[in-house]
Amino acid sequence: MDTRVVNKGQLPELLDKLAQDYTLFAPVCEDETVTLFKQVSGAQEITLDYTNSDVSPKGCFFPQTEKTLTYTNTGDKLEINNVCEEEKTVVFGIRPCDIKSILALDPVFHGKFVDEYYTNKRENTTIIGLSCQKVASTCFCTAFNSGPCDGSGSDLMFTELGDKYFVEVNTEKGRVLVDAYSQFFGTQDTDQLAKAKAEHEKKLSGQFVRKVDLDGVKEVLDNNFELPYWEKVFEKCLGCGICTFVCPTCHCFDIFDLTNGLFTGERYRCWDSCMFPDFTLMAGGHNPRPTQKERVRNRFMHKLKYHMDRYNLDGCVGCGRCIAKCPVNIDITAIIKDLKEVGQNG
Amino acid sequence: MMEVTQQLREQAKKLLEEKKADIVIGFGQGTELTRTTPIFINSPEETQDLVWNAFCANNLVKYLVDCNNESNNVAVVVKGCDSRAVNRLLVDQQIDRNKVIVIGIPCPGQLDWHKAADKIDPAAQLKEVINNEDSFTVKTDSGDYEFPKKDYLLQKCLSCENPNPVVADITIGKEQPVKNYEERFGEIQKLEELLTEEKSNYWDKKFSRCLRCYACRNVCPACTCRECFVDQMKPMWVSKRNNLSENTAFHLTRAFHVAGRCVDCGECDRVCPVDIPLRNLNRKLLKDIGDLFETPTPGSIEDLASPLGEFKTDDPEEFM
Repeated sequence: MDTRVVNKGQLPELLDKLAQDYTLFAPVCEDETVTLFKQVSGAQEITLDYTNSDVSPKGCFFPQTEKTLTYTNTGDKLEINNVCEEEKTVVFGIRPCDIKSILALDPVFHGKFVDEYYTNKRENTTIIGLSCQKVASTCFCTAFNSGPCDGSGSDLMFTELGDKYFVEVNTEKGRVLVDAYSQFFGTQDTDQLAKAKAEHEKKLSGQFVRKVDLDGVKEVLDNNFELPYWEKVFEKCLGCGICTFVCPTCHCFDIFDLTNGLFTGERYRCWDSCMFPDFTLMAGGHNPRPTQKERVRNRFMHKLKYHMDRYNLDGCVGCGRCIAKCPVNIDITAIIKDLKEVGQNG
Repeated sequence: MMEVTQQLREQAKKLLEEKKADIVIGFGQGTELTRTTPIFINSPEETQDLVWNAFCANNLVKYLVDCNNESNNVAVVVKGCDSRAVNRLLVDQQIDRNKVIVIGIPCPGQLDWHKAADKIDPAAQLKEVINNEDSFTVKTDSGDYEFPKKDYLLQKCLSCENPNPVVADITIGKEQPVKNYEERFGEIQKLEELLTEEKSNYWDKKFSRCLRCYACRNVCPACTCRECFVDQMKPMWVSKRNNLSENTAFHLTRAFHVAGRCVDCGECDRVCPVDIPLRNLNRKLLKDIGDLFETPTPGSIEDLASPLGEFKTDDPEEFM
């Protein structure tokens, strides 16, 4: 494998250069408590001292609000302008679980149906991953054949090791970036650093508290749409959208037009949440998921079954955000455990 | 706090056995040592799952609104702050007093679980939480941890108006002293001193990162509208677009909607996934309404109508 090394002291300069040449998204800490991926103008705004961001970086590819077109009706002619700008982008600092989530979104937006907005961003973006330094109590990425230093899906994978970043060049896109900024990417001691990375990974792997075993869980869901178990889970759900909005793989959206008078308007696509009652509310007033029970069931079915059925990929990546953020402690790892028991004991 | 837990279990068991309550809503051990989770108990055996410790942050009163349409009698565990919500919902006729049994527990303050979790071995199992005067001792199977209250309490608990429930059918545990580690409206006064532009910058930064997950609304015991204005399509007061303008419209409108009814339970603040200090918004209104109408915090007295929801013929305002 092609590997490089970046001196820690030189990283700010590299990030400043990237911010000049690309649209750069990176983790930013606001009010000393919240870490989010935002567009930055230089290294100064970026924080690298975070376990994982509070909100996932999926918005870099699938923004919460996206203008998709504008239209003008001149009376005899309707003019539609597609808003799809190509911007060369770098996302820096994505953790392995979130990189994996983008791989889970790819077949949704770039499968049988090609969504040009997502595809455009995906193709124009170089993903620079960053290995974890800590394992949170809510992390369980190892349940999905990933790990805190797993670079698969990234173009470049950075791992902080002492005063250096060990860099794995995983794709052609990554190589192009390394070549363009070759003054920052050395080649000395890379073998030694590769070993140090393996050590680091081993150390972190021992820090996972949550042992999650998915074996047999999907089969339980395959065979049981109606489970009395859901009655127990949904009772405490407040019906807010936290879990779906912080989730890196949730991808439901709503489309609506904003009209300016009769003749011009804009079309928007915005994140939506299956936890909201109006998500499935139909024009005639019928709601096929009438209570929170059906909504909660749907979310877990989507994470643990439907995504696998459709794309042969996990619908959850074990980032643990929904666990950390749920106000009433609905915990997907506890649900996985319970479903296994239901499967074994009926 | 073990003693209170024991008494709580016994009382809950009795209520269910004697069929005085069909459901008991309380706190159960959560999936992390530092968390509890709301539990709904309907059989006497399950009452063993009830706990009372320093991680019982949730205001369970909101669940009563959903239970109101059912014929069940519901018992609910409340802290001092939560109990104000019971009074408020009664005044708004959102719940039926005859169908609600309030189990009040005087509260020594609740710990911020995120802060506490950072200090505790994540694999440890909780044994017991001891309430000392100015700290909690969290006993686990991998050692004891000391949490000074002034550093680890939830923001709302640093200045607490009613540690003892203002309404309760059953009270469990000793009365707790009113203890303030912070001046009650200290932070609000600081915000009031900012220049208009600084205030605007303060809130703009926070509202910009709002996800519009509506957790603040859904957890709020003052938000009881069948259809919230943000969900209305015709007219569309707020669109689904996430931007500063729409987000601000949501938060400011909600703040005005709950003004005079917000019981200052701090749940909006606690649940926000991006740490928007929503309580500061509501507390500014609480402070102003308190000053202008000389009324106590909503819910702190029985049958206290909202100063903004009541009409008086002898109102000093001429236009009335």
